[in-house]
Amino acid sequence: MAQPSESTTINPLREGLTSRPKPQPCTVVIFGASGDLTYRKLIPALYNLAEDGDLPTGLTVVGFARREKTDDQFRKELEEAARKYSRQTVKDELWKHFADSVFYHRSEFGDDEGYRTLAERLSKIDKERGTQGNRLFYLSVAPSEFEGILTKLYSFGLNKAPDGGWARVIVEKPFGTDLPSAQLLNQTVNRTFHESDTYRIDHFLGKETAQNIMVLRFANGIFEPLWNHRYIDHVQITASEPLGVEARGPYYESSGALRDMVQNHLLQLLCLVAMEPPTDLSADSVRDEKVKVIRALRPIKGDDVAKNVVRGQYAEGAINGKNVIAYRKEDRVNPESMTETFVALRILVDNWRWADVPFYVRVGKRLPKGSTEIAVQFKDAPPVLFNRETLGQGANVLVIRIQPDEGISLRMQAKMPGATLRIEPVKMDFHYGTSFGKASPEAYERLLLDAMSGDATLFARRDEVENAWKFIDNIENAWHKSDKPPGLFDYPAGSWGPKEADDLLQRDGRAWRRL
Amino acid sequence: MPDTIEKFSQGIPVEIGRIERELKKLWEQGDGATTRASLMNLAIYCDGAGAMAKNTELIAEITQSLACRSILIATEPDAQENQVQAWIGAHCHVSGTGKKQICCEQISFLLEGQRTCELIPNIVFSHLDSDLPLYLWWQSQFSASLDEQLWTWVDRLIFDSQTWENPREQFSLLRNSLLKTKSRLILCDLNWTRLLDWRQAVAGLFDTPASLAQLQIIESASISYAPGHHSTAMLLVGWMMAQLGWKIEKNEKSVFTFNRLDGGKLRFEIREEGTHAVDKLRLSSGTANFQIAHESGSSFLHEEIHLPGQDFHHMVPPGKDNIVDLFNEELMRGGKHKVYLRSLTAVESLL
Repeated sequence: MAQPSESTTINPLREGLTSRPKPQPCTVVIFGASGDLTYRKLIPALYNLAEDGDLPTGLTVVGFARREKTDDQFRKELEEAARKYSRQTVKDELWKHFADSVFYHRSEFGDDEGYRTLAERLSKIDKERGTQGNRLFYLSVAPSEFEGILTKLYSFGLNKAPDGGWARVIVEKPFGTDLPSAQLLNQTVNRTFHESDTYRIDHFLGKETAQNIMVLRFANGIFEPLWNHRYIDHVQITASEPLGVEARGPYYESSGALRDMVQNHLLQLLCLVAMEPPTDLSADSVRDEKVKVIRALRPIKGDDVAKNVVRGQYAEGAINGKNVIAYRKEDRVNPESMTETFVALRILVDNWRWADVPFYVRVGKRLPKGSTEIAVQFKDAPPVLFNRETLGQGANVLVIRIQPDEGISLRMQAKMPGATLRIEPVKMDFHYGTSFGKASPEAYERLLLDAMSGDATLFARRDEVENAWKFIDNIENAWHKSDKPPGLFDYPAGSWGPKEADDLLQRDGRAWRRL
Repeated sequence: MPDTIEKFSQGIPVEIGRIERELKKLWEQGDGATTRASLMNLAIYCDGAGAMAKNTELIAEITQSLACRSILIATEPDAQENQVQAWIGAHCHVSGTGKKQICCEQISFLLEGQRTCELIPNIVFSHLDSDLPLYLWWQSQFSASLDEQLWTWVDRLIFDSQTWENPREQFSLLRNSLLKTKSRLILCDLNWTRLLDWRQAVAGLFDTPASLAQLQIIESASISYAPGHHSTAMLLVGWMMAQLGWKIEKNEKSVFTFNRLDGGKLRFEIREEGTHAVDKLRLSSGTANFQIAHESGSSFLHEEIHLPGQDFHHMVPPGKDNIVDLFNEELMRGGKHKVYLRSLTAVESLL
């Protein structure tokens, strides 16, 4: 009988099977496992990965939370959630197999005994299930809990994987509430885990269309030569939703639209639109280019805030034909709240490519419809020949729709049939749903798989987060620490925000797109 | 656009010279809620008028996930009279958002008589949706008289080697045609796609260092396959042979003796047994045993890994065998299939 050789490390049978590395067997430990995210997103995502055959053999999930429950109770609750929220219909046979790999670990987040027994449990899992000491810790808890959990992981040696394995941590947003808190949080995380093992999740980056922005720009020859201040007049990024704050009143009161959406999601989209081509597709090459964009954002501070930023709060109004209450009357919201539910910004990127090209960014709740779009508006053709009369109305616009109805459209001018010369805008429209019948995986599926595989491309790096906070803090300071803070403008629920947001563009001779 | 076009008929008969005009008319009948979509040209070549209804049904299913202009060509070379008939139609379905009806065109041709078969290249060339890739699904046996120009236009050639009567001859014809035309087309063998989940599962057995160490010293192996799937099982053997560097020492048709890279020997048996294209695979190194099998009542493949002191069980997706699923899977994958070509060379040495 031949003896196995230990020298082989690459599985030759994997060649050509997938374009991405297969994750190694590992244990995913979810802190805050009784929270909403686990039930609605994480477990359905892991189940879908199992159904698609993307999970490694031996993958194990350990839910760590305070509530008293058994493995069986936990599995039963997760099954109900998976049946409700999974992208694919849950199959009994596979669920049973998947559920056998899920365990519940009850402990307070600050209890030493809980971590000591967790360490023992993980070692046992390594032996019994072949997870090789690989651990992925998912912090699905409030940021105030991070330090306590990370300190305990460090104290019990769980931040270092035994036997040549790996230990990584996924951190959910918000990554702080301002620059000092983000720095503190990052220091705390990096005291326990190396930056290369830290995965800050922003689910927007896991969306197929967000990933397609780079493909659109760098896999097509026609766009990149035009993608600069010579040809682009301005860019509009909109994230609107008809929903109010729902049950998130207390969180939203401490956050507001600027911190909740702009600091992370919208600045990430702006980076993808504005970045230079990376030298390669490695995580750090892509993130280096994104950081350069954030560092090039012209700071908006002091008096400039009133000129370049508009904040609003929804008053009562109507959504989809139904009356809705004002923000200040929402559950657990301060009746005199000064929290913004809408914000519009005029942002300049001070680099060669984007000199004097404004990026108008707006985000709001209780707007007429839900949509996330990026619109790149090109400069007008010279005002001669056909464009004498259509000046300002006939600009070419390239729209990248992130959600819903993901796709890309291009508006251009065309002659209407007939003997007279009449020019009208027409739209070339590409819908993912029309051309590709296959449903895209959920963002969390992609991101969990990436974290297990050690690919951090779609996760925010420390310097990205901190530089984004630096930019946002100037505005927050003008709103909350200035003697003469800019106004907070009401807008009726179901409208497109306060009139002042329209004025922001009108001053530049422009207007928001009609969505 | 008519409200609905009967899904499994070829559509409306048209004169060949008026096809584009009639298609245009078809779209003009729409009320604006219909979108014509196309990502590619899909030409399907099949034997006999009888295959047209079945293929129309396939196209209707395919267009639900991949928008395309389809050109269906059936031949009846033994017909007395030389004649060509054509039909146009559309396959419509409601988009994911439920707002629009997405429609894809189908142009069907029936070529009767020996001489009409020469028209195939022209029929394809003159009805392509411009600037879109051409995928040719060849459902017949390849012959020596393949048209060179047609070959150079094809981006992907789709076929199913499981249906081949003489695989050795067919592989050889295909290889020669590709060499002759210097075509850059990508070969898409649905029989290879049929094995995708199996290959994923087999590779998955050896993802851990402990089991990977056993892979190089496998001493015995066996595959069970359903009747009619000898070539599928052979492709799986060929793949392992190519990827693991095994050299054939003795070929006894259903039992092969290979020399491993380390100089050791390996006995590989294939047997017709079971109901799935590939039913079961067993590998043993003496100290470790590996098995993947369909189990009765289960819709998944069951993996078992038995290492000294450790046993693992895992469930993975079952191999696909529905032709539309295979087609869709194949088209979602890119690349030149270098591993397939390498495996093919290995299989040819065993045939």
